[in-house]
Amino acid sequence: MESRVRVLRVERNWTQAELAERLGVSRQTVNSIETRKYEPSLSLAFAIARLFGCAVEDVFIPPEPERSA
Amino acid sequence: MATHPTAEPMPRSRASRSGPILVPLLFVLAYLAARFGLESLRPGSMAALLVALLPVPLFAWLLVSVVRGVRALDELERRIQLEAMAVAYPSALLIVFSAGLLNLAGFRGEGDWDPPRLLPLIFLPYWLGLALARRRYA
Repeated sequence: MESRVRVLRVERNWTQAELAERLGVSRQTVNSIETRKYEPSLSLAFAIARLFGCAVEDVFIPPEPERSA
Repeated sequence: MATHPTAEPMPRSRASRSGPILVPLLFVLAYLAARFGLESLRPGSMAALLVALLPVPLFAWLLVSVVRGVRALDELERRIQLEAMAVAYPSALLIVFSAGLLNLAGFRGEGDWDPPRLLPLIFLPYWLGLALARRRYA
């Protein structure tokens, strides 16, 4: 799943630590989400989207479903 | 594009107030007190039974403080702990069952089942699992 968290964070000049503080998670969690090593829970994904003032699907873009031939 | 109001910071769960050091320390002290106390008591006596069970309430307290500590973690930290436990728990079972079978096979040693001897073997897989999980999400 594609994540725009890093782009949105940098646009606001926030550090990973600042974003983590605002979300109430660890900096490692923010880093893992940005580097796509970890996909957040639905509630955290909604909290991230709310924080950036976006819809969740504008922050996390799911892969296109594979179509059978 | 649909927008949501800006979120308030999510409050993190409160960590255990007992502290990560105090409760395990009290448990170890109670265990040592029971262990040395039992040496001077007649085996099978009521006093020996009470002294042997002395660390149990402290272990229950330790258990509660560990569960509270886990609840205070954020979701990624919880997943890391879960992955560490997924390595540690089956490994601990493997160690205990293998040690039991080796005992039956005649490979016995004095104090084989002593907790101080078994603890490193039980914690080693946990630390290994923790290191692997931390590396995975680093």
